[in-house]
Amino acid sequence: MSVNISNRSFRPYTGEKARITRAYDYLILVLALFLFIGSFHLHFALTVGDWDFWVDWKDRQWWPLVTPLMGITFPAAVQSVMWTKFRLPMGATLCVAALLIGTWITRIFAYHYWNYFPINMVLPATMLPGALVLDAILMLSNSLTVTAVLGGASFALLFYPSNWPLFGMFHVPVEYGNGQLTVADLFGFEYIRTGMPEYLRIIERGTLRTYGQYAAPLAAFCSALLCILMYTLWWFIGKWFATVRYLNKI
Amino acid sequence: MATTSEQLPLVVENKNAEPWYIKDLPMYLKGFAMLTVIYIGLRLYQGAFAVASGLDSSEPAFEQYWMQLFYVELGILAVFVTGVWGYLWLSRDRNLDKLEPKEEISRYFTLTMWISIYTFAVYWAGSYFAEQDNSWHQVAIRDTPFTANHIIEFYFNFPLYVILGGCAWLYARTRLPLYAKGISLPLTLAVFGPFMILVSVGFNEWGHTFWFREEFFAAPIHWGFVIGVWFALGVGGILLQGVTRLIELLDELEDAP
Repeated sequence: MSVNISNRSFRPYTGEKARITRAYDYLILVLALFLFIGSFHLHFALTVGDWDFWVDWKDRQWWPLVTPLMGITFPAAVQSVMWTKFRLPMGATLCVAALLIGTWITRIFAYHYWNYFPINMVLPATMLPGALVLDAILMLSNSLTVTAVLGGASFALLFYPSNWPLFGMFHVPVEYGNGQLTVADLFGFEYIRTGMPEYLRIIERGTLRTYGQYAAPLAAFCSALLCILMYTLWWFIGKWFATVRYLNKI
Repeated sequence: MATTSEQLPLVVENKNAEPWYIKDLPMYLKGFAMLTVIYIGLRLYQGAFAVASGLDSSEPAFEQYWMQLFYVELGILAVFVTGVWGYLWLSRDRNLDKLEPKEEISRYFTLTMWISIYTFAVYWAGSYFAEQDNSWHQVAIRDTPFTANHIIEFYFNFPLYVILGGCAWLYARTRLPLYAKGISLPLTLAVFGPFMILVSVGFNEWGHTFWFREEFFAAPIHWGFVIGVWFALGVGGILLQGVTRLIELLDELEDAP
């Protein structure tokens, strides 16, 4: 059933009023940029953190699971406001782009120039392809359910293949000290960090070795399931925070 | 509409003046510039002295270069918070019921500038210096809660953004009718939630008395910070409140070229 949308009250501003609203838009853009770099980056660094900081943490089991799962949170919350209230289909892309700006600045100036970690050791992963798809699905479907299922799953499933061109080269095997390891592992051994190889022990748990090439796709599909749920949860968290209530007292 | 010869001198005179709705723009830009100089200055200080004198808190040089900086920071913050919060409160508008639409629009712009300055401080505290903490503690063993990065991040950046968030909250409460009549829930969430990040420093450092944990930055002892920063999403509600009121106020204005 189609709905007749009335355009009776819609009249674009002109003259000074148009300039006022445009000036307000620019102020909000600056505000939003720093808000999402600061807030999403802190959330991300303290939940995904190590998997994004270090090349030798970018494994087959946890990295493709944890990163999209924690990375879909702010995009979902921001989409719930920007799409439903302003019809701007860019909430996810805005968040992820802001995160990338923040992480790149930090990796260069805090890791490389301050503490001399090679930049290849601390390259951030990207979630931009997944974010673009998430925004496009919301715009085309205008549906929370469709976006959660298709968009949430795509966000998780696209993560590993879109990062492989960046990080695949660090997974080539090398022989070192009569043992076989990856270039990423070698970075970890050469640049000693204060607390180290706990994770390298964890990674050899379970049936990882016998599962071989299936480990990464399995982690991605597990992440897809969880991202569907996480997207829905954070949509409502974003909606709740965007309340317009005034209180009598606090 | 054509400009008449009588209006011409006025037009020429006001050519370089800011439009009435962004009259606080110069102050806003100066605020950005000042904060940028402060944060970059602190990062350069770390680059110059952290490795040379910030690795061992028992050395006299640590006291001289880092603890002295800590005391100076506390002094500056105490003076700043007293001055700026005191000014905002004492200069409050006592006749808000007589506010003209143009003045109210202008004040909404200024409130947005205050929130923007607040989010700029949140960027430095939540993004740059926060992740830099991981970088530093991967190369330096922590032997004190006042490390070379904590002195900047926990005891300067965190209080500073709390103060600036408080400025935005106070500005709205003392100068805008809707915020004076009722307490805006989203603005309160967006200011008081991130304030809890400062309080979480206590939990974090208490945790570090038991555990070393640098290896795992995403450890649960850091999740207090995470929950605090979720409240920054309240800015969406502030935006909706502001836009709704601005539309009403613009409808009250005459159309102008």
